[in-house]
Amino acid sequence: MSTIVTLYVNNERHTAVVEPYETLVEVLRDKLRLTGTKKGCNVGDCGVCTVMMNGQPINSCLVLAVDAAEATITTIEGIAQGGELSTIQKAFVSEGGIQCGFCTPGMILSTTALLERNQNPTDDEVKDALAGNLCRCTGYSGIMRSVSRCKNYQDDGTCTKPSHPLPNRDRSESDYRPSSAGDCTSVGVSLPRVDAADKATGRAIYTNDIALPNMVFGKILGSPIAHGIVKSIDTSKAEAMPGVLAVITGKDVPDTLYGVSPARYDEYVLARDKVRHVGDEVAAVAAIDERTAEAALELIDVEYEELPTVFDPYEAASEGAPILHERYDRNINTHVEQNFGDVEGGFAESHLVREETFTGNHIYQAPLEPHAAIATWDHDGTLVLYTSTQVPHYVQYMMAHVLHIPLGKIRVIRPTVGGGFGGKAETTPLDLCAAIFSKKLGRPVKMVYSREDMFHHGRGRHKQHMKFKIGVDRHGVIKSFASEIYLDGGAYSSFGVATAYYAGSVLPTLYRIPNYAYDGYRMMTNKPAAGAMRGHGVPQPRFAFECLLTMVADDLGIDPIEIRRRNAMMPNTLTVNEMDVGSCEFLRTLEAVSEKVDWTSKYGKLAKGSGIGIGCGGFVSGAGYCIYRGQVQLSHEKGREPFQKKSTFPHANAVVKISEDGTAALLMIAAAEIGQGSDTVLTQMCAESLGIPASRMRIRSEDSEISPLDLGAYSSRVTLMAGHAVSRAGVAVVEKLLPYAARILDCESSVIEAHDGRMFVRRDESRSIEWEEVARKYFNDNGPLVGTGAYKPPDGLGGDHKGSTVGTSPAYSFGSAVCEVSVDLETGKVKIDKFTDYHDCGTPINPMAVHGQVEGAVVMGASETILEDVQFDDRGRILNPNMHGYLIMTIKDAPEIFSGLVDSYEPRGPFGAKEIGEGSTLPVLGAVAHAIANATGVWIKDLPITPEKILRALSEKRMSAEATLADAKA
Amino acid sequence: MYMPAVEFHQARTLPEAFDLLSRCGASVQVLAGGTDLLVDLKAKRLTTDHIVSISRICELKGISRSDDILRIGALSTITELDESAHLDGVFEPIHDATKRMAVRQIRNIATVGGNLASAVPCADLPPVFIAMNARVCLSSRKGNRELPVDEFLLSVRKTALDQNEILTAVTIPAPPPGFGAAYERFGLREGNAIAVASAAVGLQIANDGRIQSGTIVLGAVSPTPKIASKASSLLKGQPPSEALFTEAGNTAQSESQPISDIRGTASFRKDLVAVLVRRALDTAVRRAVGEVL
Repeated sequence: MSTIVTLYVNNERHTAVVEPYETLVEVLRDKLRLTGTKKGCNVGDCGVCTVMMNGQPINSCLVLAVDAAEATITTIEGIAQGGELSTIQKAFVSEGGIQCGFCTPGMILSTTALLERNQNPTDDEVKDALAGNLCRCTGYSGIMRSVSRCKNYQDDGTCTKPSHPLPNRDRSESDYRPSSAGDCTSVGVSLPRVDAADKATGRAIYTNDIALPNMVFGKILGSPIAHGIVKSIDTSKAEAMPGVLAVITGKDVPDTLYGVSPARYDEYVLARDKVRHVGDEVAAVAAIDERTAEAALELIDVEYEELPTVFDPYEAASEGAPILHERYDRNINTHVEQNFGDVEGGFAESHLVREETFTGNHIYQAPLEPHAAIATWDHDGTLVLYTSTQVPHYVQYMMAHVLHIPLGKIRVIRPTVGGGFGGKAETTPLDLCAAIFSKKLGRPVKMVYSREDMFHHGRGRHKQHMKFKIGVDRHGVIKSFASEIYLDGGAYSSFGVATAYYAGSVLPTLYRIPNYAYDGYRMMTNKPAAGAMRGHGVPQPRFAFECLLTMVADDLGIDPIEIRRRNAMMPNTLTVNEMDVGSCEFLRTLEAVSEKVDWTSKYGKLAKGSGIGIGCGGFVSGAGYCIYRGQVQLSHEKGREPFQKKSTFPHANAVVKISEDGTAALLMIAAAEIGQGSDTVLTQMCAESLGIPASRMRIRSEDSEISPLDLGAYSSRVTLMAGHAVSRAGVAVVEKLLPYAARILDCESSVIEAHDGRMFVRRDESRSIEWEEVARKYFNDNGPLVGTGAYKPPDGLGGDHKGSTVGTSPAYSFGSAVCEVSVDLETGKVKIDKFTDYHDCGTPINPMAVHGQVEGAVVMGASETILEDVQFDDRGRILNPNMHGYLIMTIKDAPEIFSGLVDSYEPRGPFGAKEIGEGSTLPVLGAVAHAIANATGVWIKDLPITPEKILRALSEKRMSAEATLADAKA
Repeated sequence: MYMPAVEFHQARTLPEAFDLLSRCGASVQVLAGGTDLLVDLKAKRLTTDHIVSISRICELKGISRSDDILRIGALSTITELDESAHLDGVFEPIHDATKRMAVRQIRNIATVGGNLASAVPCADLPPVFIAMNARVCLSSRKGNRELPVDEFLLSVRKTALDQNEILTAVTIPAPPPGFGAAYERFGLREGNAIAVASAAVGLQIANDGRIQSGTIVLGAVSPTPKIASKASSLLKGQPPSEALFTEAGNTAQSESQPISDIRGTASFRKDLVAVLVRRALDTAVRRAVGEVL
């Protein structure tokens, strides 16, 4: 029975008709349309739905609206007063406390409540107050800085000084010139994010915040069994349920396979014949509300014929194992066989050869924002798809492929995205089912994953089983390296072909390895498909390699940092697998980190239970090649194009349009801002090349209909590739203005420069004119002032061997991290106390954003090293598909982090910049593993390094020591 | 992950609650803070036709202390308990649990009564309450009764509450001088992780410095908090020592009956029990002799 409930929300009286089962978050969002309160897990694990009720922060998903009648509620919309941000909101904006923004409303409310009851909290009190608000982006460092800033906040404008001095060097190699006046004014500055204020106030609109008129809701039914044939599906009961509008199954979806790698399209939108993992999509329901759709799923009767299952990648390869797909012989989805140099010869001449086995873990990206999509069709037959994605263009391409419509008839809108980390780098069944339903019903259809759905349908990191063998000379110099990796691919290809290659191809970019072999098998198993995640394919092999290198150093009595120095990659090197390394300051990151932590006075000298460890890593600054081959065209009609060692179309494209009065510049590029800060750094680079302050820029990146193609946020490509495109677009505008300025200033075009919103005569700053006046004159004479820019990676990247394209990039990043831990030797509990990281990311565009990426990567990497693992039962069911079973670090678990940058300049990058987002994950796992080994005396070689594994290893060590002693006595 | 369809009833007084409970029949759940109930209903671990909210019954709120007894109204939130000035001094060991339970948002609505009545094996308050000789007060139309907490908890999600009975308060006697208690827990994460294993200890030190009596309670390693009676009896008449604590820990370990699940194997939990008991004993003795509060 529904009730009328009065709530006092943000000092306004609201009445709402409420059903007894509705929670407060549903009423706030759906009835009062206060969408700043987010929905994340629905069971009180994540804190994104935090509101203040009667002055206390609570999870609004755990309160029935009827039970909250007459309560006083404060949501994020009630924090800013009269458009003026609160002190706390300002601090989050200026201190980098905000990235994807999905946790931000809850964080700010928890902070507000804390500071109301305690104006000067200690760090521990802050952490206790915020432990219920998970964040996956910031590593909590920016949040701690924000809260501490609140304590004595002074409003000093919008711009904070970069915390690291910028290198002063010749940038003449770059095609964008800083002004002769000296330093850049927009690039290299720690400007607050352009979207931070919206995220701090609840104004930022995520996909699930959008409600279109006449919209209905869809839900997907997953298979309850891990392997079977779908014999029959009876949807009649579901269809008869009041409120249900449509039910679709495999027979209602196009007979077109889709996926990520064109050579391995192996998925149907809904199962047409078989199911291959628990959660495999079988049917979908559309109904008047999400609750009804969810309830109707239970009324669909599916008859399965169960098939034998296989969950282990080694078993999957064995004779007689159940086969998942006929096309993959012995369940081998991808086999990589690479052999460079003389590997056996290298081992033969080695002084020491060591072989070890390592095992990774099943990791999920766990962005705080669940995947969501809304599809609607315009009357002219254009599909409009709102989707929380990192790769709008690939979604557009895949929708065209499956639905057999041209790209020009598909408009992809990417609203604010609450984190991706690779989990939103594919077209989802939500995108496809929403489009199919919407076409069928003629109404907008919204579909959102529950937290549990994200585990079943999402694509996490591959669990890798690694056998590594290294040969070194007596000085620790690497002579040869060979690896065999079995990747647990799950039931479908997803990104897996690339993952299998990445697992081998990026290792040789960090150390000089003269002879290198890699044997990789991506296996099909009856588990959800694995895909791409931060550091794509590389973090687990990098963890294994770093551990092995440290073990070898110990064997030889060489300091683990010293052995890395002796093998460190040098600038301008073509690696053994033909990766073209340009700028490289790896050695300097090692030296810097060693000095900063005072390594030599600590390593080997700490008390038992305290440990220190080193790990290194780096990554590509954008994949050298597009995921699909050939040119952009009608995907379902195009034949397979032969591979060419060049990009057939630009990977990043930008348009800049100057307002008619010259006072504003609109940057259009469909690069995917997913929380990493791409809108901000692209704005900064474009402003720099235009010569105007960044504050005059606006950016439209969310709509494929407005902004030109960019391939998206994956492979750490945005800063370098999209950065070039926007900078070139800016230069194109300035070139159009030069003749006008020359006429006004009475000089040659070639001596004019633009910076700080003015155009100057070089070396005569007294002769200048306002930038906007020149632009205005241009418009009056010619009409629109527009510049365009495009970027293609250099031709010819990579060698001629099979798979040579994977791992190629215009530039590579490098980093070294030292981890300090304390381990409770009786319980095995690990506390990661401190991380110190130095990175070579080229020249940073926005240092604060760079440090935010590093801090986030450190915590994500440390979390996956010691906490995270998706667990399955013996029937392939996930045992922990939620945020209380799958644990990620809270603010209480996060270490103190120092992020440092070394001077570096990448000639192939815009303004000398390289990547930071993914590469900063790579040193982390090995550093944590080493620190734990250093503290405990035992190496744990399978992830995650849990207290239980540590205790077991310690007890085995004790027993073997006792046995040795007993033998000696005997 | 939506709440199922239910009928909702708001009780304003205890008699009203009794009426509602009897009217609703067998398929009814009492709603206090809701942090367990709503999760269980959403996850379909529980089904019910009716919910009776007792959250507005004033007499179930408030924490008071007379000379010899601490009375915690069942609707007191964990935050209210944690921040109550009444915990200063002899009731300090309760902070060992309240400070490490869940997170602020949960503690602000989760109730003390709910933490007991949910009867979840890993709940934090029951072990420390048992170690401090707490009793629950139960009311129904038939009258009031009291039970020691360990007799209240029968098995997983099962309590001694009758069909139409409501837990109204928890009472804890103020311990005499020489009493010390402590609670230790192990969670996989620093923030917001349920206990994988826990141990509470309450003991009385005699004038001669020996342990007069002691109770060791284990949490999360059996269906209900388990009094490790053999380990407890080891303490009797002994002077406190590390060797004694270790022995008691090892004995408690052998008395525990943990299960294996996603958070750890039974054998890991047993390892933890020995350590947690030893540490709790150490703290309890220190408190008993006034070394720490």
